[in-house]
Amino acid sequence: MATQNISLSLEQRDCYQEIANVAMGQAADRLARLLDAYILLPVPKVSLMEFSDLHMAIADCLSDENIFTVCQGFAGSGISGEVLLFFNDVSFDELANLLGYQHNEDEAVKHELVLDAASVLTGSCLQGFGDQLAIRFIQSPPIIITNDNQNDTVIKKNSTLWKKTLTIAFNYSLEQLSIDCDVLLIFSESSVAQLHKKIDYLLD
Amino acid sequence: MTIKVLICDDSSFARKQLERALPEELKAKLFFASDGHEGISLIKEHNIDVVFLDLTMPNLDGYGVLELLKKDNIQPTIIITSADIQPGAHDRVNKLGVAGFIKKPFDDDSVKTMLLEIGILKGG
Repeated sequence: MATQNISLSLEQRDCYQEIANVAMGQAADRLARLLDAYILLPVPKVSLMEFSDLHMAIADCLSDENIFTVCQGFAGSGISGEVLLFFNDVSFDELANLLGYQHNEDEAVKHELVLDAASVLTGSCLQGFGDQLAIRFIQSPPIIITNDNQNDTVIKKNSTLWKKTLTIAFNYSLEQLSIDCDVLLIFSESSVAQLHKKIDYLLD
Repeated sequence: MTIKVLICDDSSFARKQLERALPEELKAKLFFASDGHEGISLIKEHNIDVVFLDLTMPNLDGYGVLELLKKDNIQPTIIITSADIQPGAHDRVNKLGVAGFIKKPFDDDSVKTMLLEIGILKGG
């Protein structure tokens, strides 16, 4: 597959950012009602990211034992990609409380907690994003990424094919609870043209 | 009577969307700002009557604008336009004295309905 030349105009970036902003607001609203907490909403960052930078960011997170990295694929209307979630300094007590689990030191339960939280975050933000662009995304189950299985991620699989692609970075942080999660929405390189078309239609 | 309306939002896409959603009957001179600081100076300089204010903005966000206006005792009619639709966000801005809250993305009629509700636009 030939590498396409991906570009992003200022107008497109602004439009993506606003759509991401609205999507995140809807996601936060669902979470806030579910968890009875207020979620801080910083401005999402839209950029064309080089794959080398992406790999480095992932490698950094994998080497930090205080960060749980989760990845979850998505697809719909000819647009596909992957969501990476970086949970910073997870407090499992808090998370268990929030999600209604019994507190448990068991490693498997911890993983389940992180995967549950990831699904909620990914699902709610993809739904808001898709709604505005009339795309219905389907998500694959989330997996926790470790040094052993990182080659399974879409990014790794395509690392020789892709040069750079469109990414949207969010941060979810729950006020008064020690939960902080960085979310990176990565669109596959081949989806960007189709996605741009939808954005340009909105800008018209 | 022509009123002065400020649209304060960091996104040009959002500013355009809101401008389009303004009802035709509204006779307004429009001003635009892309962050809170710019918004505050326009409000002071032009005696703005109505402000459509986004909450999530760089530099100075919507909450900051509300606090500064309160401190300086400047009281334009403020309508919050925000993607932050959490119950907590409503509570926060209500305490800071705003006339209304319109959630993004805008429905076709939400802007007009709000302007009628708070008496900026007269029904009939």
